[in-house]
Amino acid sequence: MGKYILKRFLLMIPTLLGVAVLVFVLLRVVPGDVVELRFMSGEGQFADPQMLAMERAKVGLDKPMWKQFLDWMWGIVRLDLGVSMWTGAPITEEIKLRFALSLQLAIMATVVATLLAIPLGILAALKQDTWVDYTVRVFSIAGLAMPSFWLGILMILGFLVIFKWLPPMVYTPLWVNPWQNLAQLIWPALAVGYRYSAVATRMTRSAMLEVLREDYIRTARAKGLWTKLILTRHALKNAMLPVLTVIALEFAFLLGGLVVTEQVFNLNGLGMLFVQAISHRDYTLTQSLVLLVAFVFIFVNFLMDLLYGRLDPRIRYR
Amino acid sequence: MAYLLSRLRGVGALAFLPVLIVGVVLPSPVMGQDKPRYGGELIFPVPSEPPSYDGHREETFGLIHPIAPFYNTLLRVDPRDPSGTKPIGDLAESWTVARDGLTYTFKLHKGVKFHDGSEMTSKDVKASYDKIIFPPPGVGSSRKGQYEVVEALEAPDPSTVRFHLKWPTASFLASLASPWNFIYKADILVKDIHWYETHVMGTGPFTFVEHVKGSHLVGKKNPTYWDKGKPYLDGFRAIFISSSSAQVAAIRGERAHIQFRGFGPADRNSLKASLGDKITVQESPWDCILLGAINHNKKPFDDKRVRRALTLALDRYEGSKALSKIAIVKEVAGVQVPGTPYATPPEELAKLAGYGKDINAARDEARYLLKEAGAEKLSFTFKNRGIPMPYEPLAIWMIDQWRRVGLNVKQEVIEAAAYYSVLRKGDFEVAMDFQCGYIVEPDLDIYKFISTDKNPANYGAYTDRVLDDLYVKQSRATDYEERKKYIRQFEKRVLDAEAHYLMTLQWHRIIPHSSKVKGWQITPSHYLNNQLDAVWLSE
Repeated sequence: MGKYILKRFLLMIPTLLGVAVLVFVLLRVVPGDVVELRFMSGEGQFADPQMLAMERAKVGLDKPMWKQFLDWMWGIVRLDLGVSMWTGAPITEEIKLRFALSLQLAIMATVVATLLAIPLGILAALKQDTWVDYTVRVFSIAGLAMPSFWLGILMILGFLVIFKWLPPMVYTPLWVNPWQNLAQLIWPALAVGYRYSAVATRMTRSAMLEVLREDYIRTARAKGLWTKLILTRHALKNAMLPVLTVIALEFAFLLGGLVVTEQVFNLNGLGMLFVQAISHRDYTLTQSLVLLVAFVFIFVNFLMDLLYGRLDPRIRYR
Repeated sequence: MAYLLSRLRGVGALAFLPVLIVGVVLPSPVMGQDKPRYGGELIFPVPSEPPSYDGHREETFGLIHPIAPFYNTLLRVDPRDPSGTKPIGDLAESWTVARDGLTYTFKLHKGVKFHDGSEMTSKDVKASYDKIIFPPPGVGSSRKGQYEVVEALEAPDPSTVRFHLKWPTASFLASLASPWNFIYKADILVKDIHWYETHVMGTGPFTFVEHVKGSHLVGKKNPTYWDKGKPYLDGFRAIFISSSSAQVAAIRGERAHIQFRGFGPADRNSLKASLGDKITVQESPWDCILLGAINHNKKPFDDKRVRRALTLALDRYEGSKALSKIAIVKEVAGVQVPGTPYATPPEELAKLAGYGKDINAARDEARYLLKEAGAEKLSFTFKNRGIPMPYEPLAIWMIDQWRRVGLNVKQEVIEAAAYYSVLRKGDFEVAMDFQCGYIVEPDLDIYKFISTDKNPANYGAYTDRVLDDLYVKQSRATDYEERKKYIRQFEKRVLDAEAHYLMTLQWHRIIPHSSKVKGWQITPSHYLNNQLDAVWLSE
């Protein structure tokens, strides 16, 4: 097991390196740079070329590309992500500020999705082709069809028109004021969690249907086991493998992918930071964010692989 | 020795006499109401966030809106003046201008203290302006080029600052009223000239409390503010909200009082419809405009008949009526914002190509010119910046107008961040260009159009020494009428005779704000009136 974990960790290095090369090159292929955007748009017609050259040197854009890449890699080896080209602040500080919110929202949305998806998926599978199944399917297809940001806009308009109320605009950490925190985050968690649950509900339903047709379930029924016991001990445990994969990958996506929903609810999260970094051509920050999200995806996949072994005794690690 | 031109706050130099007249003519709906009430926290969304805190270096309103309340400048634009062109003293109590126009001497208010308790003196003003005008190596100063006229400055005693100019200029007081020119503490600049990039500490009406990046910035009342009785607010809270729908929702949900940049007409209408008397709307021509940059290096745009045809095809008056309902544009304008001292009156403007009232005659002329230039049924690509408002509606309107004189124009939208790179490289035939000023002042507004070798931000890629000469003449003319004459000549040459650039419609600034907000006056610039010292909340 220990050998397997070490092997998987070592395999992460070439994957992350590939991501790093790709993002580094792609960012520099696109025209425009941070200095141009900062000092030449708007009323920036008086910015003189000397100043622009000086600002470029300040953020390291005067160096050859290979040197910029090596500097970045050397920083990562020393666990130093460098500073944002736009704000000059350390990147770890920029990310830390937003990470708590994004993580909390991802957890809340996952809880909402799981609480909805698993019972509904099981119910739909058990009551296949009945009105219960149809209702659950309509509910989940609606969730897939509606973008979460659109649902968010509807929620906000609903609050404004009906209750003359709007969720707080500024993030308050849970430990500072739980009520204020939940008043802000519960709505995006519901909007995102609903869409997220739609995917998981459909996956739970189809996985359950497949497992319920297996020979060992028939055998269990023939032995006269309680239905509850058959479902929890035999069916659900096996049906959960693909469902957990979907939930885990969605969780990783939520950490950096809620760009529009964060804008609708004005959440100061990683998604918004991502958009700002790209639109400012903040290479260092964008590179670090891409690497972070890639790491989260790889790590979550790795955890899922470990979990598979616990859930399915047939799986062995080598 | 010195010729006294002005004495106390509110009195400008002679060159600004017309400014005073405009200030009286234009209505001022908001200032001078009721007795100010003390207390309350002003909450406002800011659509962008300051990259650093140094006003001398940055260029975004995202810095001015939350940071200006912490500072004073030497002069400021009169917060009661709706034209936004009248300089008055801020830290300067009075000033004199030498008879030859080469020396400006400013007397400073006494008893002004920095937020750390130390006294502000002329040494601080000199150090701040030295940083702006003569930045040492490694220090960025975005507006250094605007102060080429300054030869030196001195601080002969703690309450006097003197600027020595290389030549007389009409715009000097206006350029000292720049909202960017925060006065910093000299001792700090000596120790670390970059300190103000990461710290806030001025003499302004509010003191810094906190800035949570990506979220909000908070200021509280400066209890020892030198302008006794001010500020009225207990504090302010700037919330960084990039989405315009979230900004509108914040105002509508009464989570915020005002957004100082501006909203579109549809947002104004929906806010007014849902909140009624709880919303007050202020509107003004905006010192921002989208321009058609015509690349003189690309054929047939090197032919002035073709360029002239492009401007003649535009029916600006009808365009204004239709577009002002859906976009943040409205006024038909020349090179100056309508209603400001040097703006060309409508009847005179109508004599320029593309500004006549008979659109059929203008389009006949356009077709004739195109035929004569051998560019009938010309096809070209119009490059536009990937920002919806107001780039998108304006481009669609222009393309349609050009179609009516037989031109076949294809639009290519370039991602906003990559756009200036395309313009700078000259990789376009005709493209949308943009200009925005922090104060309406010809030196700043028409600098855009001088030859490309003098101003690389002129993307038309032309050399026109007549234009360059007119620019210098208007800048150095201290007599109002003389300066106006040169500006008119400049305008005629750039928009009509040579048709180097084409103007679309002046932006129109719309600020729907909570009716509780008092003491704030809209101006044509979203960089002005953000010190908040005169703003108060009625409840």
